Amino acid sequence: MKIGIISTTVPLVQGGGRFIVEWLGEKLLERGHLVEIIYIPYTDELDRILPQMVSIRMMKLDDYFEQVITIRPPAHMVQHPRKVVWFIHHLRFLYDLWQTPYCPVADDEPGRALRAAVMSADNVALGEAHKVFTNSRVVGDRLRHFNGLDSEILYPPILRPELFRAGAYGDEIVSICRMEHHKRQHLLVEALAHTHTPVRLRLCGQSSDPGYLTDLRAHATRLGIEDRVTFETRWITEHEKVDRLENALASAYLPFDEDSYGYPTIEAAHARRCTVTVSDSGGVPEFVTDSVTGFIAEPDPGAVAHAFDRLYADRELARRMGDAACHRVAELGVNWDVVIDKLLA
Amino acid sequence: MKVLVLTTMVPFVHGGAEELFDHLVRNLQSTPGIEAEGCRIPFTWNPAERLLDEMAIARQLRLWNVDRVIALKFPAYLVPWQNKVLWLLHQYRQAYDLLDVGQSNIPDDARGAQIIAAIRTADNATFAETTRIYTNAPITSRRLKHHNGVESIVLRPPLNDPELFVAAESDGYVLATGRVNAGKRQHLLVQALRHSPATRLVIAGPPDTPDDADVLRRLVVAEGVGERVTLDLRFLPRTELARLVNSALAVAYLPFDEDSFGYCTMEAFQASKPVLTVTDAGGVLDIVRHGDTGLVTAPDPQSLAVALSALTAAPGRAARLGRAGHAAMDAEALNWPATVGKLLS
Repeated sequence: MKIGIISTTVPLVQGGGRFIVEWLGEKLLERGHLVEIIYIPYTDELDRILPQMVSIRMMKLDDYFEQVITIRPPAHMVQHPRKVVWFIHHLRFLYDLWQTPYCPVADDEPGRALRAAVMSADNVALGEAHKVFTNSRVVGDRLRHFNGLDSEILYPPILRPELFRAGAYGDEIVSICRMEHHKRQHLLVEALAHTHTPVRLRLCGQSSDPGYLTDLRAHATRLGIEDRVTFETRWITEHEKVDRLENALASAYLPFDEDSYGYPTIEAAHARRCTVTVSDSGGVPEFVTDSVTGFIAEPDPGAVAHAFDRLYADRELARRMGDAACHRVAELGVNWDVVIDKLLA
Repeated sequence: MKVLVLTTMVPFVHGGAEELFDHLVRNLQSTPGIEAEGCRIPFTWNPAERLLDEMAIARQLRLWNVDRVIALKFPAYLVPWQNKVLWLLHQYRQAYDLLDVGQSNIPDDARGAQIIAAIRTADNATFAETTRIYTNAPITSRRLKHHNGVESIVLRPPLNDPELFVAAESDGYVLATGRVNAGKRQHLLVQALRHSPATRLVIAGPPDTPDDADVLRRLVVAEGVGERVTLDLRFLPRTELARLVNSALAVAYLPFDEDSFGYCTMEAFQASKPVLTVTDAGGVLDIVRHGDTGLVTAPDPQSLAVALSALTAAPGRAARLGRAGHAAMDAEALNWPATVGKLLS
C-alpha cells in the first residue's frame, strides 16, 4: 500500500516526535509498503498558528497515497479519505495548559478567539478521521474532555526491542534520556546523597542546556558523591543503551508531568529492568505499577533514595520487578505488529 | 550555522533532482560547523487552478531555528525566510518557456492568464527578497533573465560519487545510461544498429513505465539486432553502473533539450569515455563538442549509425576523445566542498 506519514517539525530539533515517525516508516517499509515521510515545518508563533493550519489543510495528498497517518500536531489538519491520526499531543497551551505559566496567550478577546478557532479546527480534522489513536491514556482523556472524541490507545514501541539483553543485576541505577531540567536528573543526584547503601548512578544523554550539566556536576561534587555518579553527556546510540542497561540494577525516569510513559521505561523493560519513577511524572505510572514493575516514590530525594536502597539491598526484588516489567510490555501490546495492524485496519 | 534545504516533492518519484537534494543535504551535514536538514513539501500542479493553492500553502508556512535556507524548486522557494539562497533547478516552466512553445497545462484563456500572472508575481517577489540566486545551468539563468529580468550565477551540480568512475580498458560496447523513455530516445540507437553492423550496444537504466521497456524490447526484435544489444532495464546500483561505464568504448546520451550536462555525460567523462549525443540535446552540448570530447550528430538513426561505426572502428580515437572529456570536466572544477562553500557564503 502507498502510505504517507505526515508530521510537523521544528527544523533541526530532534525529539520523540521524530522517532515515532522514522521508526513507523522503517517498520512499514519492512512489511513491503511504499512509504513517504512528509515533515511540514511548523512554529508556535501565535499569529501564524491559524495560517499554518490552513496551509496543512490545503495540501493535496489523495492522488499520491492510499492512506495517510498523521503524527505531530497540527499535521492532522491534512485531508484524506483514509486519514488515520496517531495523536501524540494537543497544542497544549491552548488546551490543558491554558492560562498556566506555560501559556503565552493572554486571556482576552483575541486570545480566546484563537483558542476557540484552533479547538474547532481540531474538532473538524479529528472528527473526520477514519480512526484516531493516542499514545497514552492522558492524551486520550484530553481528547474526550476537550474535543468530545473517543480514541484508542496505541502505545509507541521502540525501534528494535530485540537488541536488548538481560544480564546480572549490578549496583548501578541508570538514567538514559535527554538531560533537561524537566527530566529532573538533579533529583536523582540529590537522591543518591540520601542513600544508605553504596548504590551508584549513571546519567546518560544529550542536553540542550550546558548550564544544567554544569550545575549537575557541581551539585554532585558539593554533595560529596561525585565518585558514585557517572556522566555520559552525549548522544547515546541504541547499542550503548543495550550495553548500559544489560547489567543495571534498575532504570530511573523522573520527568515532570510527561504525557506518555516514555521510551526509557520501555527500553528498561526489554532489558528486564524495573523503573524508579515519581508520583508527579504524568504518564509513567500508566506503565509502572508501584512495587510490581518498579517504584513510584514521592518526588523528594529521601523517598527516591529509599527506592534505590531497597533495590540495592534486594537483587531478587530487582529481578522480579524487571521480569514483571518485561511481561507488562507484552501484555500492553507494545510491539510493531500490533501497532501496524491497527493503523492499517 | 543551521541550514535548511527546501524543495518540492512528488511522492514516490526519485530522479536526478532528488539525488541532488539528498547529496546536497549530506554534503552540508559533513561540513564542519554546519547543522543541516532537508525539507520536502508535496506538490500537485494539476489542474492548473491548483497552482494558486500550492503557492498559498508555501507562502503561509513559517520557519524557525534556521540561519540559512537553500531553496531548489517552485513553489517551495516561496516559503518566506530572511536569509534565503536559491539554487534554482527550475521554475514552473509551464508558466514560462514551455508556455511559449505551447507545452503548458495552464489554459489559454482569461483564467489561465490570471494564473500565469500570479505565478510570475509570486516568483518576482521571492527573487527580490532572496539573498542570492544560483542556477544549475546557463539555460536556467538565461530563462530567468529573459522572463523575470533577474541576474543569477551558474553553479553546476557536481557528480555525487566521482571516485566510482575510473577508466578501465574498453570492452568495445557503446553504453546508453539514464532513465529509459521516449524523450531520452534510446530507440534511435537501436534503429541505428542495422546501419552500423560492427557496433555492440548496452542499454542500462530504469524505464519510466513498463511500457517504455516493452517498446524497446519489441523494437530490438523488429530490427533483428538482438545479438548485438543487451537490455538491462532497471535501476542499477551505483557500483554496477560505474563498472559498465568504466569498461565501455563510449557512452551515448540523447535527451531532448536537457538543461544541464546530465549526470550520464558527467559520469562518462569522469571515466574518460567519449559521449555520443545529438544536435538538439540542449545543455549536454555545453561540454560535448564534436570531434573534441565526443561526437554530435543529427538525431536520426542514419547519422547516429555513422558516428557509432566511427567510434567502433577507431577505439584509439575514442579513447583520445574520452581523455579530452575528462579534461573538460576537470576544467569545470565541480566538487561538493566548493559548491557547498558558495551556497553558504
